[in-house]
Amino acid sequence: MLRLAFLSLWLIGGAATAAESPADNHFRDRIAPFLKAHCVKCHGPDKQSGDVRLDDLTADPKFQARWLAVRDQIRDGLMPPAKEPKPDVDASRAVVAWATVATGAHPSKLPNQGNLIPHELLFGKPAETAEPPPARVWRISPDGYMGFVREMSRGRVPGIIQPFTLTPERGLKDFAGLYTVDEPSTEILVRNAEAIVLSQTANEIKDGKLSAKHDTVAEFVKLMDPAKPPTPAQLESAVRSQYRMAVGREPDAEELKRYVALYEKCTKGADSPTAVRTVLQAVLLKTDAVYRSERGSGSGKTILAPDELVRAVSLALGDRRDPTVVQAAQKGELKTREQVAAQVRRLLDDPKAENPRLLRFFREYFEYHKAADVFKDKPSDGIKHLPGQLVKDTDRLVLHILAADKAVFRELLTTPVSFVNYSTKMNKQTRKEEAVPGDVLPKPDPNPKRKPDWLGTVHDVYGFKEWPSEQPVPLPKDTRLGILMQPSWLVAWSTNFENDPVRRGRWIRERLLGGTVPDLPIGVLAQVPDASHRTYRDRLSVTRDAACWKCHNRMDELGLSFEQFDHFGRFRTAEPVRDDETTAKNVDKKGKSLGVVMKDAPLATTGTIADSGDQKLDGPVKDPRELVRKIADSARARQVFVRHAFRYFLGRNETLADAKALQDADRAYQENDGSFKALVVSLLTSDAFLCRTAPTLTLPEKGEPK
Amino acid sequence: MTTDTTRRTLLKQAALGAGATLLAPILGDLAAHAAGDTKRAARKRVVFVMQSNGINPEHLVPTGMKRRPDGKNQKPDNDKLEETALAGKKLHKALAPLQPYSDRIALVQGLSGRIALSDHSANHGALGACPANKGPMSQTIDSALAEALPGTFPHVALGYGGSTDAMNYSYSASGPGKAVPIVCSPDLAFKGLFGSVAEGAGRTAFDQRSHLLDFMADDVKRSRAALAAEEKVKFDRYLEAFESLRDRQSELLTKADDLKKHAPMLGDKLTTSTSSLILEAQFEIAGAALLAGITNVVTLISGGGGQRFGSFPEFGIPDLHGIGHGGAYGRASSEECFVELRVFHTKLIAGLVKKLADTKEGDGTMLDNTLIVYLSDSGESHHPGLQEWPVVLIGDLGGKLKTCGRYLQFPAYGTKAHRTMANLYCSLLHAAGKPRDKFGVPDPKLKDIDQTGPVAELLA
Repeated sequence: MLRLAFLSLWLIGGAATAAESPADNHFRDRIAPFLKAHCVKCHGPDKQSGDVRLDDLTADPKFQARWLAVRDQIRDGLMPPAKEPKPDVDASRAVVAWATVATGAHPSKLPNQGNLIPHELLFGKPAETAEPPPARVWRISPDGYMGFVREMSRGRVPGIIQPFTLTPERGLKDFAGLYTVDEPSTEILVRNAEAIVLSQTANEIKDGKLSAKHDTVAEFVKLMDPAKPPTPAQLESAVRSQYRMAVGREPDAEELKRYVALYEKCTKGADSPTAVRTVLQAVLLKTDAVYRSERGSGSGKTILAPDELVRAVSLALGDRRDPTVVQAAQKGELKTREQVAAQVRRLLDDPKAENPRLLRFFREYFEYHKAADVFKDKPSDGIKHLPGQLVKDTDRLVLHILAADKAVFRELLTTPVSFVNYSTKMNKQTRKEEAVPGDVLPKPDPNPKRKPDWLGTVHDVYGFKEWPSEQPVPLPKDTRLGILMQPSWLVAWSTNFENDPVRRGRWIRERLLGGTVPDLPIGVLAQVPDASHRTYRDRLSVTRDAACWKCHNRMDELGLSFEQFDHFGRFRTAEPVRDDETTAKNVDKKGKSLGVVMKDAPLATTGTIADSGDQKLDGPVKDPRELVRKIADSARARQVFVRHAFRYFLGRNETLADAKALQDADRAYQENDGSFKALVVSLLTSDAFLCRTAPTLTLPEKGEPK
Repeated sequence: MTTDTTRRTLLKQAALGAGATLLAPILGDLAAHAAGDTKRAARKRVVFVMQSNGINPEHLVPTGMKRRPDGKNQKPDNDKLEETALAGKKLHKALAPLQPYSDRIALVQGLSGRIALSDHSANHGALGACPANKGPMSQTIDSALAEALPGTFPHVALGYGGSTDAMNYSYSASGPGKAVPIVCSPDLAFKGLFGSVAEGAGRTAFDQRSHLLDFMADDVKRSRAALAAEEKVKFDRYLEAFESLRDRQSELLTKADDLKKHAPMLGDKLTTSTSSLILEAQFEIAGAALLAGITNVVTLISGGGGQRFGSFPEFGIPDLHGIGHGGAYGRASSEECFVELRVFHTKLIAGLVKKLADTKEGDGTMLDNTLIVYLSDSGESHHPGLQEWPVVLIGDLGGKLKTCGRYLQFPAYGTKAHRTMANLYCSLLHAAGKPRDKFGVPDPKLKDIDQTGPVAELLA
């Protein structure tokens, strides 16, 4: 039904005959002629290049797999091949759009596949309300699990091990469709549950008297005297308390009964405290404790249940249930969209709320925090490379932009200010945090003959000879703008020894322009020649070969303007390359080399934006600053940013049914002067976030308890 | 213990020994197990050792030999198998620790794995003979062998993942979309394999744990009943986990004495963050698990896939990506770093081989029934081309493989008789008694040659 709704939304109207639907007409008038003109010559009755035949394709769903292939090939410009006439851009887009709708039942699950849905289908026309997504469960994140442990025990729990991991792929990490709880994780969860309950019930019995240790749950400790087994009421009450903490709701009568039965079973071979502990552990391992349940309450379109909303709202912004949100739910004040909006706004405006997931979004989106993972040799210019400090500086800049909450996307891309080598320290007299340099060079050796180890530190990387005490500080003119020119981002998207214009370009193509780049084809060895007498831009020209260029034309030209900086993220106006002639002469009397001599080669910082999907964007740029300024002005790039925020906060890729949620979020952002908070409130109060379509209940499977 | 003591008599002693009180309910089981021990004597074992950053094909070439018969040290272009006996030859210094076993080794060169090509690690493609960057798209060979050679723990996967994550999901898979977690913390690996008995937990703790696991299996079943099929899968694995932990718990109890006997004493190595110590601990744990008879298939990794090559600052080699690009860290060349790391890893392998060779089984030793496969997840180099993928095979899996001291240069990529890693994996399945003639995804560039079947020359 959903698919049909979208077909009618998207397709061009026309007089439909009784026998033909608008979809049939559209296929006949726009899609079939395209196939005939551009595909059938090589993929038809006479010839089937690569064993692919397309002349027999119709709108029938049985051709879904082939349509997926057609869509990907045309969208990425891989087909028709370069030697054939190029199809009209609009006609290509129409085919890609049609194939996306026709194959829409197969949403792409991996975070980096979100862009497979063409941008125009989501933002091209005003969207109508669609059915909310189906009910789902979402394994809590590694950070969420540590938050869960803190919720369960006020004290530090010794022996806790992180049971969960996230995908090592670049990009957004925590998607509901990616993770399950497997055996080794379960084994850790069981051990952790033992450790948590041990800490909840820590006690001492001296002279027959039971006393609780610090940070325990008094109600549980009372049950730890082997001489005084719990009464049924005490046991039930303990289970209720553990349920409220771990699952966020009261157990029903049937559930309580089963825990009492477990207790009875456990007391047969053990004393009562041991049995109580086992029962308390069992609550901590419930599916609703380790998974976020988003099933809604009822059938058909339904809003999440209050306990589900508590976790959904709290874990969208932080790592544990927020006490005020919990209270609101208990008072019955977390049932409507407005009530959720009020809680989200309160959390976003509360200066005391840490909301750690906000900053994490920007880390996963830009990935500047990966700077520390790129190992580098000691820089030859004597200026320290401290990637950890570079990341801290960018974190602070992001938080600064979020605090102002105005034109956030534009500011992220083009802010002329930065924090540089910035840290804070508590002034013991004033009791206030004061700015201090993050790294300080040691005092020069009094012996003038001894050369210092370092000539500069982190602020030198940004172009400051002295550490500026007023921060954020405007950066030296015409050098850097925004996050993409922060040293942390440049280092994160570099290799051990060089810049990485290809991956930088890919980042821009995907995260700012909403485009796609196919995976490295099988059999291709992607290597830039090691020839240090040539500039990197020159060496990268190997990709201009036709076979490589059909993918590299989507990346290289977007990344090359960042050659403005070296791979440590330092601004430069020339690129040092090996001087072969002088190196050859640089020998001692016996002809032994005295080392490589470098010379400055002229630096080009130009680039091109092409095939961006926004005609105003396409064209040459003279340097990286012009590139980011142009993109910051683009509505498409802003919307692509909204799409990424959607994926992060909803833990999945957008589908065609999410067009309204995306458009609403974009509108909220614009109407509130580019407020990221407004964007988040809009996303977290959308149907896509708050509502679910409950599945039709099926009969229990054989062997499943009813 | 006399040299005549076999694993079988050990087991019998275990059944009648001090553990008898604790083991009373399952004594019958255990006795039956010991009685059927002739089967056990014939059991086969396979160990994969996968090290990041490539294995230079030259490291497989014995001292004094060249890669090509014409004396050039370049990639060979032979169109027929070329074989040299290792008898009387000295292994390359990178493999020197394996010298004592050179009569039980096959050094295999010239198999390709281009389907798994990536810029560095082949990830799941290395053991799956499938594309590198599409996640766990099909079953990998270690998991397929685990099915063929079941044990209490069908597949023990552990190692050092090049990061601080406790688990790695980049190499091994039991089926499409089902990554097998590789445990990267020695502490966790130890607790998982030996913890239930070696920690000295008594009967009470055992029973409590059993009740808990039973209850949880039932509890998860109830939760999943109300979910749609696609979401149900997420709870299925949680359910499977509780069920299999419960089953294993009973099975391990029957092996309590063996476990206690073999549980390695690792001390601080259990919780170390030093890469080489993690690896030492994991090799010891793996060896102990084999000796205790609780598994027949082990995957040991060093490096975590992608660009998580690992780091060995304790050897003065802080970044393995660096040596892949010529970084020498004070040595004469990056090659010296590669050799140092190779020697470290082959020493660990030799230690494991020795353990197996020193343990009697049936009429021979455990090594007689074992195969160790040593390879890199990125084939022949840091930036591999995968037209060749050097592999070291140690042991003959109970006489099923011809690994009796052979240097084998298989026909070059593209020639008619060329063979691939998929063919090698088919051979292993043939040798393990579950023959398969297709494995993974065929290389589209080799569509004109037959890519099916085992490597006949390796089978006994």
